[in-house]
Amino acid sequence: MALIFIRTAIIFLTLLFIMRLMGKSQVGEMQPFEFVISLLIAELACIPMADTSIPLLYGIIAIVAIFIMHQIVWLLDLWFKPMKSVICGKPSVVINKNGIDEFQLKKNNLDVSDLIESMRVAGYFSLDDVYYGLYESNGSFSALENPDKESSSLSLLLIDGGKADKKNLAACGIGRETLESFLKEQNAKLKQVVAMTVNGDGRVYFQKRGEKYKILNMEVRGQW
Amino acid sequence: MVKSIIYTLTAVALCVALFVFVDIYLTKQFDEFEGALDTLYNKVENKSANREDGYAVREMWSDKKSKLHIFLPHNDISYVDYWLNETCGLIYNENYELALGKIEVLREIAKNLPDGYTLKLENLF
Repeated sequence: MALIFIRTAIIFLTLLFIMRLMGKSQVGEMQPFEFVISLLIAELACIPMADTSIPLLYGIIAIVAIFIMHQIVWLLDLWFKPMKSVICGKPSVVINKNGIDEFQLKKNNLDVSDLIESMRVAGYFSLDDVYYGLYESNGSFSALENPDKESSSLSLLLIDGGKADKKNLAACGIGRETLESFLKEQNAKLKQVVAMTVNGDGRVYFQKRGEKYKILNMEVRGQW
Repeated sequence: MVKSIIYTLTAVALCVALFVFVDIYLTKQFDEFEGALDTLYNKVENKSANREDGYAVREMWSDKKSKLHIFLPHNDISYVDYWLNETCGLIYNENYELALGKIEVLREIAKNLPDGYTLKLENLF
């Protein structure tokens, strides 16, 4: 019996550690330890229920072990503040006054397209629609809205982390040469660009690595 | 919060009590069963065992296994049933040489079965 308890505790801690390593993209609006618990409880309840050769007590002990682990994590969370960031993680500011914080994005195993998706879910359709954007420790996205937001059409991501998106370039009617000459004007190479988006009005969000973002204009032929 | 802490401590205390009880209980049950098997082994070795001796061990095991099902996987308990029934059959036919081998296996199972569920490093992984 003690064996089952300790094995459950080991699996719980391993899963919690792995979920923390996976970053916010995998958590899905739950604290990591809550997510681990929901993963384990379903499985633990099912095994002794479906397999009659396993004593029911094994399932009960494992579930009680999960309850005790949950309580311990909860108490650590409450009493020792440094443990809160270790167990649950910290919010990550991915958009600040300078634009996208690429380091924070990578730390959470996310890229610019994931960020844009989160923003769209939150109701923002351009990267400069927010002053600050952050991923909470439970993986949800929060933002401080820019009151002067100007997005009138959907922004398409043309460059994501130094890589051009050919499909979106074609959708905007922007050729390779046009993009290269635009980059030349900005004195930037493709690999140096953190993010570049353009909306239907030709409004460009451009951010070079290590620099503040710029709002520019370029001619687009696509319609969306 | 106090309520939560009390629930947690109660759960921990109940678990520890259960673990200690199960450990002692399993060791005791299997020690008794092993003792009965040793006696049967000696009788089979002396060729003095009869049908009643085999049945007595089987009856003892049947009594124990109804409670052991709460703590041990049922498949593990079934192994003992298979080997014990075979042993009883061999003793009934006075095939003592083959019966000795079966009892040997049973003694090994009785020794190792509770060991497989005790708190040991090798069992954890």
